[in-house]
Amino acid sequence: MNARPFDFARGALLPIALVTLWQAWVMLAGPSRAPVPTRVALAAWDLVASNELPMALLQSVGRVFGGFAVAAALAVPLGLAMGTSARVERALDPLVESFRPIAAIAILPLAILWLGTGTAAAVAIVAYAAFFPIVINTVAGAQRVPATLLRAAATMGLGRAATLRTVVIPSALPSIGTGLRIGMGVAWTAIVAAELAVGAKAGGGGSGGVGQMMFVYYAYSIELNRIVVCMIAVGLVAFALDRLIRGALAFAMPWTAR
Amino acid sequence: MSAPKLSIDRVGKRFDAAGHASTVAVQDFTLDVHRGEFLAIVGPSGCGKTTVLNLLAGLELPSEGSVAIDGRQIAGPAPERGVMFQDYALFPWQTVEGNVAFGLRYGPAGAGMSDAARADRVRKCIDLVGLAGSEHKYPHQLSGGMRQRTALARLMAMEPQVLLMDEPLAALDAQTRIILQGELLRIWGQERPASERRTVVFITHAIDEAVFLADRVAVMTSHPGRLKALIDVTLPRPRDDATRATPAFQALVQTIWALIRDEAYRAIVT
Amino acid sequence: MAFTEDTVVRTVRTAATRPARRAGTALSFVRTMLVFAVAWELLSTWTANPTLLPSPVAVLEALRELALDGELFRHAGVSLSRMVVSLAIAAGLAVPLGFAMGFSGSFDRIVDPTIELLRPISGIAWIPLALFLFGIGNALPVFIMTYAAFFPILLGTVAGVRGTDARLVDAARTMGVPLSTIVIRVVAPAALPSLMVALRLGIATAWTAVVAAELIGAPSGVGYAVEWYRELLMTPQVMAFIATIGFLGYLTDRAARSLSERWSPWAPKRSEA
Repeated sequence: MNARPFDFARGALLPIALVTLWQAWVMLAGPSRAPVPTRVALAAWDLVASNELPMALLQSVGRVFGGFAVAAALAVPLGLAMGTSARVERALDPLVESFRPIAAIAILPLAILWLGTGTAAAVAIVAYAAFFPIVINTVAGAQRVPATLLRAAATMGLGRAATLRTVVIPSALPSIGTGLRIGMGVAWTAIVAAELAVGAKAGGGGSGGVGQMMFVYYAYSIELNRIVVCMIAVGLVAFALDRLIRGALAFAMPWTAR
Repeated sequence: MSAPKLSIDRVGKRFDAAGHASTVAVQDFTLDVHRGEFLAIVGPSGCGKTTVLNLLAGLELPSEGSVAIDGRQIAGPAPERGVMFQDYALFPWQTVEGNVAFGLRYGPAGAGMSDAARADRVRKCIDLVGLAGSEHKYPHQLSGGMRQRTALARLMAMEPQVLLMDEPLAALDAQTRIILQGELLRIWGQERPASERRTVVFITHAIDEAVFLADRVAVMTSHPGRLKALIDVTLPRPRDDATRATPAFQALVQTIWALIRDEAYRAIVT
Repeated sequence: MAFTEDTVVRTVRTAATRPARRAGTALSFVRTMLVFAVAWELLSTWTANPTLLPSPVAVLEALRELALDGELFRHAGVSLSRMVVSLAIAAGLAVPLGFAMGFSGSFDRIVDPTIELLRPISGIAWIPLALFLFGIGNALPVFIMTYAAFFPILLGTVAGVRGTDARLVDAARTMGVPLSTIVIRVVAPAALPSLMVALRLGIATAWTAVVAAELIGAPSGVGYAVEWYRELLMTPQVMAFIATIGFLGYLTDRAARSLSERWSPWAPKRSEA
């Protein structure tokens, strides 16, 4: 336990050194517009105090949760169906595999065309992005139920529906959890990208969220320090969302060995 | 003797794997298992012992011949013929209690049972195998021996007429194995009168284990799997550690080994 | 265990059956896509708005035209070349770093926190800052893609190096092999399968990033083309390029997979999740 503070100090060494170097470089040789750690810290304070950043983050996170919920509600049942029935899998897998390489952001222009530049399109993009990791991992989980467990259930006289409910789903849960975790990460990246892109193309208005805020500070007020604050915020939220989902999954699956 | 509990009549089993020539796992196999008997099946690796067990369990259907219980043909798996698998097949998301209760909770074996009756039987089975106090542990928290006993309790909870066991002690270290052999005999009821014992078909690699546990030992040969010999084990019951030291025990082990030795050597060389 | 585990048990009434992947996959692919195309055609006729939902035929027409006058290949070529450059840079940085981190625990402990701090900031979040640094042009997509591909490749390399069976290294040491040779002859081959998986993931991540980067900040490439045609409300062309993006993503993944199987034939072939 004594090693802990030492490890922490050693780990913080490089980031602190880099930040210091950054500050020094800008103060000595950098262009006047360049973001500076000190001004970044000030900008962070401003953005939080004025409630601008929290509101933008809330809007983005709200969209992520919405899109994620839609994706999960579609992908998990579909994945279970595909994972347990060869017929369903053969019928639907070509569609899944064809659309999987098409990143959510590539669909964005279509989404804007169909749904406008507001929250509906954003949620749709997030749902599309999160759908694939969830469905793929669910299928894998359902397909990889150990045959021996299925046999055990058969010898206990369980029918197909009972086996699905009491064996396949619990056994597939860790895989589904992995899919959900990856899906959440992808969803967050997608919303930032979508808001950024819409902000860039729709002239800075209408999309809302942290991505759009970043673009506004690039294109309109050229507040690079504020952009850096947004970037850090994006990173922090990504980390927090991942922790959140990991915690929820650990709670839902108490039997997984740590 | 009355009609056999299980009868395997001129059974053959062929496997056609895609892309390979079909493999004959078992050929012209005939064997009767009597009520309350402990029958062990030994043989070299790949001789089809597990296939025979799967046929009795109803997990496979024979290509030729028939398998029957009490004269009724076996068409699929059912709790009356409980199976203990080599890797225990415990559900990792259920506790010991959840695993033992599983068949009663979700399968036909527990149909019509009240919650209280079910909980009572589960508790009795957990006590029987000596796992009282571990009800709320998950499989990953259990030792190998404890997992094996959980699987056994789960089996017993459904009160099957026949217990089919596929090398249940294979994954344990030698010392735990010896202890659990004794436990197995106790749970089976070697100290009770013969009429109260359940029918057991037990697959194993270890000849000494087969002789220690069984009333009869079926010796199989491989490629294809056939019944080579049926040896009566007349050692008195109840059996214990002292039994292993008797000359009668040693002689039986040697006899059986002599029957499969050549094949076992060949299996390693090819 | 050969008979019980690997045999397809046709007679068992269980909930999950192992799908037979090979049999009829090509046929069912064609069948499904046909059903999809027909449904699409019906829907587009019903909505009767070619800007909103063009018919599949119109999209195929657009695809043909774009291919004939070379525009399709020009943009595709630009995007692909950017990806190759980015991957080369990303791998060139990430692989040595990953080896160093995998080998030296203390080096890892110094560098890893910085990596873990930067990783959650996706490549896409860098776009505004990068626009300021590089402006609109070639450098921006390459920078974003390099950043995006860097992390998966790094993590995979570290995992591969750490995952090397210590006993293999011990065996080499007992044979008196010097450390540098061990790195090249034992650790590198052992880490290769993991590295290949990481590379594939890097490619997929980079390909996602390229579309976003080109959409916002490049004058060429498939991402740019999609946006360009959307502004012109020429939806068939938009869809044609979207399909191209998907197809190229699939191709590059396939290429990476066969490359990885060629370079590490001893690794188990498993389709990733």
